[in-house]
This record gives sequence, structure tokens and C-alpha cells, in this order.
Amino acid sequence: SSQEPKLNFKKSKEVCLSYIQDAMLQKQWKRAAEFLSFYVESLEKDFSKEYVNPSEIIWRVGTEILCHCSNGSMREFNSFIEQMKTFGVKRYLKVCLEHAFHLLCNGQIDDAYQNLSLAESWRYGEQTAIQDKEMKLIQAYRGLLDYYSWSKQKNILLDHGLDEFENLSVEQEMHSYFRKAAVNLKEIIKIPGVWDLFVKCYVDLLEFYGDHNEAHQVLTEYAYNSKFPANPNAHVYLYQFLKRHGESKKSLISVLKILHDLVPSHELMIDFNTMLQKSKKRKRCRLGLEVIFAVLDYAGWKENVKAWSCLARQVKQIAIAEKHVDWIKQEWNSRKDWWPAFHFTHYLAKQNWKESESLSYEKALVAGILLGKDCKYFKYVSHQGCKAQVKRFRILKKFVNKHNPVYLRIS
Amino acid sequence: MEFPDVLFPSYFGCGPPMEEGGPAPAAGWGEQGQVLDAGPGRCQTEAMFVPRRGGTGESWEPTEAAAVPCVPPNASCWIPSLVPQDILYHGFLRRKLRGGRSGAALDFAKQLGHFFVDHPEDAFGSLGRLLHQNFHLGNSKLRRQARDTTIRMTALMEEIDRLEAKHGCPRQFLSPRLRWFSHLCRDWLFEVPLGLLADCLHEELVLQWAGLLFDDSPTGGALAWLPPEEVGAQTGRLVYPGGPAMNHLYFQDVVLEELPHAQGSPVQFELNGLIRQVAAARVDGEDFVGVRSDYHCGVWRVPARMGVAPTPLQVIHTSVPASCLTVSPHLPGELAVCTQSGSVYLWSVESRLQRLRHDPQTMFFRDHSPWRWSDFTAHPRVLSCADRTGLQCLDARAPERCHFDLFKVGEEANCQQGERVVLPMYLGRAHPSQHLVTTQFSMYVLDERLPLVPVLKWAHMMKAPPLFAHLTPGGPGRSHKVLLGSSHTQELLLLQYQGGSRSACQLAGPPQKLHPITSCLQHLPAQLPHRHHLLQQRLGAPAAGLAAAVKEEGLRESLMVFQLSEAGDIFCQRLTHETVQAPAPAPTSGDETTASPGSSPLIEEEEQTFYLSNLEVIINEEEDAGTPASLEDPELPPQPCTSPRPCPAVSTPAAALQYRRWLKGLSKVCRESPRRSRPLTLSQKRLFTRKDLEVPAAPNPLHGRARQRLLQAMGEGGGIPSWDPPHPPPPVLPQLAEPSGGSDPLSARLTAAWCGDWGQWWEERSGFNRAERQRALRERRRRQKQARGRRSLSASFTSSLTYQSELSELSDSGPPLPSPGPLPPRDSPQPRQRSPPPPDSPEEAALLSSQSLRCRGIPKERRKTLRDYLAVWAESPVEPPDPPSSQASQLCIPSSQSQLSSASQPRRKRPRMGF
Repeated sequence: SSQEPKLNFKKSKEVCLSYIQDAMLQKQWKRAAEFLSFYVESLEKDFSKEYVNPSEIIWRVGTEILCHCSNGSMREFNSFIEQMKTFGVKRYLKVCLEHAFHLLCNGQIDDAYQNLSLAESWRYGEQTAIQDKEMKLIQAYRGLLDYYSWSKQKNILLDHGLDEFENLSVEQEMHSYFRKAAVNLKEIIKIPGVWDLFVKCYVDLLEFYGDHNEAHQVLTEYAYNSKFPANPNAHVYLYQFLKRHGESKKSLISVLKILHDLVPSHELMIDFNTMLQKSKKRKRCRLGLEVIFAVLDYAGWKENVKAWSCLARQVKQIAIAEKHVDWIKQEWNSRKDWWPAFHFTHYLAKQNWKESESLSYEKALVAGILLGKDCKYFKYVSHQGCKAQVKRFRILKKFVNKHNPVYLRIS
Repeated sequence: MEFPDVLFPSYFGCGPPMEEGGPAPAAGWGEQGQVLDAGPGRCQTEAMFVPRRGGTGESWEPTEAAAVPCVPPNASCWIPSLVPQDILYHGFLRRKLRGGRSGAALDFAKQLGHFFVDHPEDAFGSLGRLLHQNFHLGNSKLRRQARDTTIRMTALMEEIDRLEAKHGCPRQFLSPRLRWFSHLCRDWLFEVPLGLLADCLHEELVLQWAGLLFDDSPTGGALAWLPPEEVGAQTGRLVYPGGPAMNHLYFQDVVLEELPHAQGSPVQFELNGLIRQVAAARVDGEDFVGVRSDYHCGVWRVPARMGVAPTPLQVIHTSVPASCLTVSPHLPGELAVCTQSGSVYLWSVESRLQRLRHDPQTMFFRDHSPWRWSDFTAHPRVLSCADRTGLQCLDARAPERCHFDLFKVGEEANCQQGERVVLPMYLGRAHPSQHLVTTQFSMYVLDERLPLVPVLKWAHMMKAPPLFAHLTPGGPGRSHKVLLGSSHTQELLLLQYQGGSRSACQLAGPPQKLHPITSCLQHLPAQLPHRHHLLQQRLGAPAAGLAAAVKEEGLRESLMVFQLSEAGDIFCQRLTHETVQAPAPAPTSGDETTASPGSSPLIEEEEQTFYLSNLEVIINEEEDAGTPASLEDPELPPQPCTSPRPCPAVSTPAAALQYRRWLKGLSKVCRESPRRSRPLTLSQKRLFTRKDLEVPAAPNPLHGRARQRLLQAMGEGGGIPSWDPPHPPPPVLPQLAEPSGGSDPLSARLTAAWCGDWGQWWEERSGFNRAERQRALRERRRRQKQARGRRSLSASFTSSLTYQSELSELSDSGPPLPSPGPLPPRDSPQPRQRSPPPPDSPEEAALLSSQSLRCRGIPKERRKTLRDYLAVWAESPVEPPDPPSSQASQLCIPSSQSQLSSASQPRRKRPRMGF
């Protein structure tokens, strides 16, 4: 019978929690708050050693309720969070971090900074792995805020012509911000993860002070370290950095080639294709065709005029020159069983014609060369184009008729 | 296909998940996750931060208080599926057993016992027949000759009966006799060797239990919405299973109005198995509908134009149950099929099946589940393959070489220990490269371009794993709506998220719970208790599918959410959203304060509904009889809630109408099917042999009469008049209900009306002198007394009589009671007014006397049964003062007399069930 009150207590706690959940999921915040006040009582009598203790639940639920129904009163929110911080040692850093996030989202950047600094100085016994991670994040965000202060100072310095003396003090302050930001940002980006925000800021700092080598190294590490996730942004940052600093075409192409292997549907592939088409080397032109074909494999590019015009241009070039038709043939071989149904159906011809004339023009050109002049798509669009008396469609029809042998060669 | 410039920061680890498992009750609340600078450029002075979670979403307000049925009820009486109580052990041992590793104690012995009792022929048939001669079950002593070959089993039977009585008693010991018997015949008595049978049964029980814990067969859901061709059109199609075995596929046109409703009758296909999943996708203006049952998958083509019938295209048969069927959103007539053997196929209607992978092992770590899933990705030739441990993408052109990991249950996605993939879904309509993955704890949004790292993660806190999901894509600048649904708990959750192309993915607004099907129970008109129970069972059936449709009317948008139950019923709810943001209506605080837990008004309300429920019961009965009654009384307060939630808004008149229609349909459906609970009847097959019932050469007049009465009783449809009163004799009420007493003229009139001499009552009322009236009355009562017991029908009349009178006592403002019109012929008092039968009881008793039974060669042990049996049919009980013979009076059990004498008293008010 000694078990019974405990069981009942546990049960009533669970029921209360389910009521809270129910109310919150129906956006009845006030009712949820009422239930929460009952639930808080359970904290006094809780001796269970469950993983999720009520203090975490109260923190989470309370935060959510205050976010939605305190009418934006930050004071109330802050005092609640301060109480929560004293509740549990295990969760202290997490609560601090979330509090800082909340302040940041409400535009109270200075308060957030103070909070983060305070959390950073917190020590309690040995840190667990999770706490270690949280501490690193706290430092990183503080570094980020330092970076913002730095860029503010920088703007003041650049925009306003200050006198010599003022200039010096601003500059000194700026440098101190730089040091604080750089130390913290550098730390976090060593750990595997997605740190786009921090990397960008750190590179910006380094670039401003002219440390291009370090910046290049950081970006290369971020993009190519196999411990990091395959983040397309890492490659984009590296590419943009190299482009900014006027690196050779070869190195740009090699960066984009790797990105192409990872994410064939990336938007930079259009730039990549243009770059490759312009090149005089046969190998690069070949790669360009590969890239643009791969881009158009993806559903997301299906109706993109730019991509279709890239492909149309290159196909046209090859058809006119009647050189390298085998390139098209090779690309087409792995696609001919599904591209017609994917891109060149009668239904799509009607749709494309209705929605965008230029898209249907580019697609019709490609269809005419790849599938011949009897292709449904080409027939429909060229017929409509001629009916509407648009000149380029008449030229298109002539062109396709003239280059029908290309189709015969690739099919 | 843009990729966000900056992603939210996150750690990336490798290996098995580190975080300790277990569902955290509030894990989804109060966290912003991470923040990101949303400013257009960093040169701005003030950075603006946006959270990953906790932003504002669109407000979608439900318009109804509960889900409303949108198609007529499924034409079958749903048999409730297995519940844990059926197969779990419930006894004193349970606590002991619970300590074990398995956690659940399957009641293996009970099931085995059920088998022996339910199928004795299959269990012991041949030996039973063989030993039939050698077992004696009677009370008599064995004759000397027989003793050599026959054993008396009576004592053993008694022991078994005693055992039954002590069932569940902790101090239950097997008697030595039973122990001896079971020891002796354990090896040879059973038709199927006991060990083998037990093995099979145990295997089956374990399977059933696993299915109860988590049944993944309905994953994906068996409900699909085919939107109309034009955006503004009102009529779309619902595709769902139905019929008694859920093996009919229906294509039903549904009009989206205030409340969606079915239009015309559905196109119907009968299939060869229970439909587990219905998947649909639109390619080039045509819908392709894939249907999965355990061993068959089929595909239909449905032109988007309304009024064109769907055409079945192809069916495949699998030797192992299929676990997944998805339809390609890119190419017409392409589907992905997975089987439980670990195979993944690309199924093209035009070409053939292409096996992409066959691997009985799971991908990333070992998991026993044979469940596999596959879906399409942004590349029409790349398919995602999933098992419980994660997702991989593979190229159908070179499946061996070209593949990459999309999602892994592990530290990569920051999973918890024990987390498993429950449902993956391609979110192509929201963003071409996004995928949804749900686990029992969380939901993830993944981007193919950034594999392994979820771009969004949120702990959904659902009680059961979400087996169904639906995406309603939002236009540019709008949030995408994701619905998650679970099966057994019927939970429905609406989430919103945005981003993916230009900005990073964010959860928008708090999640919202939608009405489960069961929620409508309290809005249905009150039912009789047993019907209420049936309804509760039917509405509580696990969910089997989820779909949603969007309707736009100017600035107002509606989201219709359909939910299918395993019973085959479809319920719908509408959520509306004003595109121009209006201030959200604040929750009415007045309601909330009154409904806080422990508030006393609840009790008063209960009192009120006591009367009301009575009222409604009457109305229901009338409705059955064909008289329409108004149900929508606006004055009716809603049913008191059992949980301290605020009283929900009353359902709208349109919804109330739908509810009533649906209920009517349901009662019709359930009446048509054979009734399960038949009135108890005695089978005479087992009681008598053919010889016993043979008509003797000289026809006994008694026999003839008994037979005649038997036939008459059967013809009248009356039950067996109860010889033994079911309850103790009713207490004698001090006051006789004088019809002319004047205290309650209405009930008196009704009494008279029930008895059939309403005209006489009227005459009495209007003129006769009192003494004569009383004399006549006494005379009538005497007649009634004699007639009592002849027909059980009269008993039920009296009960309803008191019922009515009570009602009139209780509520003065009740509905007008039916005027005493001509009663149906069945209720005519003719049999009652017949002169009492001549007291020829001695002869009847003679029929039952033991001598006469013995003369007919009926064995002694059967005689009593026969007597009881015949006594039940005995026409008129003997008048108490002069018992015709000693034997007969022994037979006519004394208690019957007390019942008879009490018949002249006004009947005790019967307690009514549940009120």
C-alpha cells in the first residue's frame, strides 16, 4: 500500500500533463497556464529519477506559453527564465542559450550578449559532452555578436569622417571586438558541423585584415574535410572567395566540378555551364553538356527557361557544327527512355505554351533535335508558334527540318 | 532550385545515437533551436535574427466542434479488432510475470483453453468418439456388467465445475483426481499433439502481440484525395476502401461546400484482399492511383475530368506481403513497390518490374523489422529506399553503383537511442528536393542536396508513431502545411513550415491538434446505452488514412481534412484561414474559468442531463417507429464533459444534420446484417434422441394441446414465458395504482390504452357509477392475473408503461406524448380476453410425471431436463389454491406462485440500465 500514493501521484501528474498538452495543441494558452500552475506543485514532491524531470517540462511548457500569451512582455519572460535557470544544474546552459535566442529574436542584442557572457563564466563540476557542446555554442554566438559589434564599428569608421582622436578610439574598440570574435569563431568551426553563419563571419574578419591564406584555408577545410557534412554552401563560399580574389579559371572549375558531383542540381551549375561553354577546350565543352543535361534531369529545373536555353544553345551549336554529335548521343542514351515522358509530352507542350512562350521555344528546339521533327512537343509548339505568326518559330521549324540528320544519328 | 545562403548552425557527429531514449513528454515545446541572421546583408547596423522554431505561422481555425461524417457509413458492422486485454494475462501472477524481460505476459493457457472449449471436435474428436462408451457421466451407479469397461467420470466433472467456480482464486489447488487424470491422458487425448499445438499457438500469439504493439501494415494510409482539374472547381474525388472486409475500392465524387458531402454513388471495384494503402499522384493532368493489399498491388488511371470512370491498368502479385507502394509524381504509370523480403522494385506499367535492390538485412545497423519503404525523389530515376534504420537514395539505372545515404538513425541527425524510421515521404510538391521522415519521437525535413543533416527537426510528442502524413504545399511566401496522423490513437497534428529554397527551413507557428473521429461522439444525439457503446467502439476504430483538400474562396481559404477509420468511415473537418491576417479571436475566457477542474457546476449539469437523456431515448424510439421528431433543440445544453476541458462549441445545424443522417445510415446498416446477439434458445438436438420425441401410436390429447400451444407461442413471436422468475419477487408496493384514483389520470389512461380497453376507460370516466366501475375493474384485474404469464410481451409493456408515467412525473415540459390511437394488431388484447383455459392440469402433470417419462424410455438423468423443458412450455400455470397433484406442484416451482400473486400488484419500477 506504500506504493499506492506514489502511483496515484504519478498518475495525476501524467493526467495533468496531458491536459496541458491538449490545451497547448489547441492554442488555449491561458488554460494551459492554469494547468501548469497545478503541475508546478508536483515539483515539490517529485523524487523520481526519471530522465525527464518536471523541471525541464516546466521550463519548456512555460516558455512556450509565455511566448504566446504574455503579449510580448519581456520582463515577465525574463523573470520566469531566471527562475528556471536556478532549477536544474544539468539544463543551465541550455536554458541560457535558449534565453539568448529569445532575446536575439526580439531584438535585444545587448541583453543577449550579457546573458551569453554570464553563461560562459558558469562552472559546475565536470562537464558532460552535451554541456561541452552547449558551452561551445554559447561562445560561438558570443563571438558572432562580437562580430556584429565589430562590423558596426567598421561601418562607423568607413562611413563617417571622424577626427583623428575619435578615429583612434573607435579603431581600438573595433580591434578588441575582432580579437574576441575571432577567438570564439575559430574554435567552433574546427568542430564538424554546419557553421555557415560563423564561417562567413570569420572569413569576413580575416579578409578585412588581409589574411587571405588563413581564409582560404578555413574555407577549404570547411568544404573538403570529410568529417564535415557535404554542405553545398561550403563549396559555394569557397567558389565565391576564389572568384572575389580573381583566382584562375581552372581552380574555379575544379571547385564547381566537385560541387557538380555532389549536387548536380545546384543553381551554380548554370554559371558553370556558361563558363564551360565559353571555353575552347573540347573536354570542358563536353563537361558543360553533361552538366546541363544533369541539371535538367531534376524536377525542380523542369520549367526553368535559363537552363533550357543553355541546353538549346549548346545543342544548336553542335548541330550546326555537326561535330561531337556523339556527345549528345551519349547523354541522350541514358535519358531517351524517360525524357520524352518527363519533358516532351503533348500535355506539357500545351501547358508550356500557355505559360511561357520562350520556355516552349527553347524546349521545342531541344525536342526537335533530340526527337526529330515528328516529336509531339515540337509539332505542337511549332504549329502554335506559326499560327501566332511569331517569326522565331518559323525559323525554328526550318532549322529543325534542316538538321533532322542529327536526330537520325543519335537515335 | 535555389539553396539557402546560410543554414542554421548544427553539430554533425557520426555513429550511433548518444542521447538516451524514451519519449519526452514536452520535448517539442519551448525551444528555438538555433537562430540565424535574417538581415539581407551584414553591412546593416542591426542584425535581425529569426529562430528555427517558434516563428509565427498562419492561423487555421476549425469551423466545427468535431469531425463530421462526409460519406455514408461503411456498409458493415465493424468487428472490433484485438485489444491487449484479449491476449494478456490478468491474474495474480501478472505482477510477478511483469518483472520479466518481455514486459507483457501473454495469456497462453487461456487461449489454449478457448480452443479446447470452442472446437472440442478438432481438439479431442477421435478419442472422444472412441472412449464414448467407456465414460459414464450420469449420477447413477454403474451396473455390474458395465463396470468392467466403463469408468464413472461424474466426480471428475464435479471437480472441474468446482475449478471453474474458483477461477482466479489465488489459493486454487488442483485436486489429486484432476492431476491424476491430466497426467494420465496428456499424451494421447489430444487430436493434435499438445506440444505442436502449443508451439503454433504461441507463435501466433507473439505475432498478434507484436501487431498490437505496433502494426505497420497501414503505413501510408488508405485514403487519397484527387483534386479537381481546375483550381476553382468544387468537386474532387475521394479514393478509399470499404465494404465488410475493406476489400472494395471506392471512387467517390465529393463536393466541397461548407461541409463536404458525397455526390452520386461511388464507382466501385471489388478486390482480392484487404486494402492497406491507397497512394495517388497527378502526372500530366491524370491521376494515378496505386492500391496495395498484402499480396497484390494494382494501379488505376483516373482522368482529372469529372465524370470519367477510372480504368484499372495493371495488377502485380507478390509472394511476400508488400509493405509499400508509392506513385511517381514525375512519370505517368510509374510506381515503387517494396516487399517484406527486402526487395525494392520500380514498377512501370508500360515496361515491367525492375528490381533495384534485394537485401533482407537492414542498411545501417541490424533491426528485425522486415518493413521497407521507397519513394521518389527530385530526380525521376533516383528512388529513396528506407528501412527502420534510415534512408538511401539509389539510381534506378545503376542501383548497385550509384547511391548515397540520405538519412541515418544516428548521431548524424541527432537521434535518440531506440529511434526508428516510421514513415518517409517525398515532399516534392512543397520543394522538389525535400523529404519528410517521421520516427516515433520526431519529424525531420531533409534536403537531398544536404544529405544526412536534417534541415528541420521537431519532437512531435504524439502518443503513437505517425503512420500517415499529408502535405498541402503553400504558394510563394506561404507556409507548407504538413498533417501527421497516427493509427490507434487517431491523433492528427497540423504543422507548418517554410523555407528550403531561398531561406533556411523553419517551423512556423505552434503545432495544432485536429479533431479525432472519436471527438464527434459527444455531439451525436444521445443513444441508448448499448447503442452508445457500439457507437463508441465504431468511432474509436483505429485510423486508417488521411487526406486533405484545399478550397479557395476569395480571401478565405479552407482546408478540409479527411480521416478514414478502419471501420471504413470517413470524417471530415474544415479549417479556415483568412489570407488577410485578422486578429485571431481570443479564446473565450469565460468558458475557461467555469470549466476549470473541480468546478461544482458539473454536478448540476449532470442532473439536468439525466432527464434529458431520458427524453432523447424516447425520441429515438419514436424515430425508429417512423415519426420524425425534432432533435435540434437549441436549448439543450451540451453533454457534460468528463475531462476538464472547456465545453466545446455546439455543432452547427448543418453538422447536426450530417450526424443524424450518418446515424440513421449506420443503424440501417447494422440492422441488415445478421444479429450477433440472438435471444437465447434451447437446442433440442442435444436433449432428446429421435426416439424420445417420436409421436406415440395413440395420439395423446395432451400432446396435441401442448404442441398446439407451442406452435401458437411461436407464431405470436413471444419468447419463452419465464418459469423461474429472473429476479427475486418484486416488493409489494403499499398503494394500488387505481386507474380512476385521479392522482395521475394520464398514466391511468395510458395503462388502459396499453391493456386495450381504452374505450371502456373513457366510458367509465365519463359516466358510470363508481361502485360498478370498481367491480368491473376487479373483474378485469382478475382476468389479467390469469392471463399473466401467458405472454411475455405484456411484461415488456408494463415496463414501458412505468417508463412513460415516470417520464411525465419527471418532466412536465416533455414532448407531447402520442395520443392513444388505434394500436397495432399485435398489441390487441384478444388473447387476454379469452376465457381462461379449463383446468386440465392433472393431465398435463401426468405428461411430466416420472412414471410416464420412464414409460417412454427416457433415461433418468434426462428426465429432469425434459421436465424443465416442457414445464417452460406449459400453457397455464396452475391456480395456487388447488395443486392438482403432488408431482406437478413439485414441478411448478413455488417461486412461480409468488410471481403470480404479485402480478396483481402494480409492477415494480424496473431499474433502467444506465440512467
